[in-house]
Amino acid sequence: MPDLQTLHDAVVNGDAKSARTITAAALAEGVEPMKLVQEYMMPAMAEVGRRFETNEYFVPELLLAARAMKAALELVRPLLTAQGAQPVGRVAIGTVKGDMHDIGKNLVSAMLEGGGYDIIDLGVNVSPESFVAAVKEKGANIIAMSALLTTTMPSMKITVEALKQAGVRGQVKILIGGAPVTQKYADEIGADGFSESAAGAVAAAKKVVG
Amino acid sequence: MNTGHKLKLQPGGRQQEVPAGAPLQDVLFTHGVEFPCGGRGRCKGCRVKMLSGDLPVGPEEINLLTAAELTDGWRLACRHQMAGDLEIELAQWEMPVLGDQSAFNFIPRAGLGVAIDLGTTTIAAQLVDLKNGNVLAVSTALNAQARLGADIMSRIDCALRDGGTELCRLVRAQLGQMVKQLLEQAGATEPVVRVVIVGNSVMHHIFCGLSVAPLATHPFEPEHPGRLQFTAAQLGWPLPGPVSIEFLPCLGGFVGSDVLAGIVATGLQESRDLVALLDLGTNGEVVVGNRDRILCASTAAGPAFEGARIAMGMRAATGAICAVEARAGVLDCRVIGGGEPRGLCGSGLVDAVAAGLDLKMIEPGGRMMVSPAMSLAGSIALMPADVRELQLAKGAIAAGLCILTARLGASPEDVQMLHLAGAFGNYISRASARRIGLLRLPLSRIVPAGNTALHGAKRALFEDPAAWDALAQRVEHVTLNEDPRFHDVYVEEMPFPAHAF
Repeated sequence: MPDLQTLHDAVVNGDAKSARTITAAALAEGVEPMKLVQEYMMPAMAEVGRRFETNEYFVPELLLAARAMKAALELVRPLLTAQGAQPVGRVAIGTVKGDMHDIGKNLVSAMLEGGGYDIIDLGVNVSPESFVAAVKEKGANIIAMSALLTTTMPSMKITVEALKQAGVRGQVKILIGGAPVTQKYADEIGADGFSESAAGAVAAAKKVVG
Repeated sequence: MNTGHKLKLQPGGRQQEVPAGAPLQDVLFTHGVEFPCGGRGRCKGCRVKMLSGDLPVGPEEINLLTAAELTDGWRLACRHQMAGDLEIELAQWEMPVLGDQSAFNFIPRAGLGVAIDLGTTTIAAQLVDLKNGNVLAVSTALNAQARLGADIMSRIDCALRDGGTELCRLVRAQLGQMVKQLLEQAGATEPVVRVVIVGNSVMHHIFCGLSVAPLATHPFEPEHPGRLQFTAAQLGWPLPGPVSIEFLPCLGGFVGSDVLAGIVATGLQESRDLVALLDLGTNGEVVVGNRDRILCASTAAGPAFEGARIAMGMRAATGAICAVEARAGVLDCRVIGGGEPRGLCGSGLVDAVAAGLDLKMIEPGGRMMVSPAMSLAGSIALMPADVRELQLAKGAIAAGLCILTARLGASPEDVQMLHLAGAFGNYISRASARRIGLLRLPLSRIVPAGNTALHGAKRALFEDPAAWDALAQRVEHVTLNEDPRFHDVYVEEMPFPAHAF
């Protein structure tokens, strides 16, 4: 039986190989998949977020920790699905139409996944229609949009409008973020939440879905 | 004149009379000061220190400058107008612009030619005697558009706001003026018959009067990527007689004819072996290929290699720490000009991190083990966040090299010769570039290549433009973000190597 605290540490230290090995060993020993996620991975990502907020960690560590968590989660997720475990929420996330920058989006996606959310990653250059479809067809209850360019930011507003047009605005909460995005802009376009950094994404999501 | 105010600039003590109410931004720009955010009070690149006179503190300054800086008299130049006599010290310094003096084979022609490298930040131009290939005059300048934004995206923003007419007018007038100066400087009597201009896609579109809107969103493809030709009359340039003025074709995305010129200058397109070309500017262009196939990409590495977004960063100019070496556990810094260190430029940054890794002051993961910063020389230090900026930049470049070589069925280690273009390529320590994992090749396979854009443009003066168009067609542009492997490779490249090679 591996010391499970080492799984927590592997994620915090961004050690993908160990995170995967320990998870595989733990699952083989019959440890509950949900226990691995809730007691080790989620706290690890929360710790990573905390260190980022206190300037102890920077984007490179976030990227590495996210990768480590993903490596572990890949082994656990199929088991959770088989057990019919309920996620905290289902997030359709993407970088908006016209924009190809995905590093920030991937970080937010990892933080939310570490926070217990089910993630539908729509990728980059995501059209308003694709966001709408994710709500209608895949049951997303949170839309998370990212934009790195001032030239592509207006696509967020268009997507909010598209969700209204499609009559599904009431079913979802909308979160936005990205370098040029501000709380003011979020208010202007009628988004429900905003986060300054990837580390704040989980808090922003909790705030809107309660 | 009683409506004017005296302005004195330090160091150097240049003095001038300035009309009351004149924006400091416009006045300082003529002295070579750059405004990285376009003068919108969003960065502190244009900061100046008041030595005498008074500039009232504004909200942007409270946001961006520390209380201590404000007390010391630091202000953002872009936020102020001339309201009284003033003496200020400039945080920025004019930097040398890289020229080109390399030799090549050519077929002689009649008349004179002008080769121009139109960079986002700097412009370099040469007047060439087409009979013998001699360079008769050289001129370098800061791009006059820089006042309206330092990087490509801010230039696009600006062009989108007014349709690009102001930027177009500025750059056409500036290049025309430079050509005129070259002729005067050389006392030339023969006519200019050909002008060749190279630059990235945004410079190409702005100069040619094309809309930059297609470059602002996905798929970021140029509207008209081809070579465009103008007459002197069309551009309003004071050149008599028939003269062909050509802007060479773009390669795709933001990658323009400056990179095409770099390919020709290094002979990459004729090489049997796998060759790479790296230009470590704001866009960090990467080219990999040989005579069979050529791939290019821009990496959005950010401006860390130019000293931007580094706490005490500056361009390679007087007062910049340009080299750092660990000797017997102590850091030994070289300062350009030999005086008091004033900042850290790109080559110094790479050296400092390499030395920090060797001295175990920086962990391979990028964390700084000394607190609060790594002191270099005088009051100049490397901050923990600086290491991270470099890490992200080197990760982007290394990942770009990785993806392009992989698409050719090779790996970065298979590159037989890697050319480092631009000013940075000339100053960077290749050993330090290896130490931080930017490059993994043996030193003998890494060569500084100088201003390959200008060199290539000069060659184009003697060559058939159709051949250049054909070469541009051959070069394939790769959008790195669209490659499914990119994110993983990028994260993979994030840590520094644990040990020196």
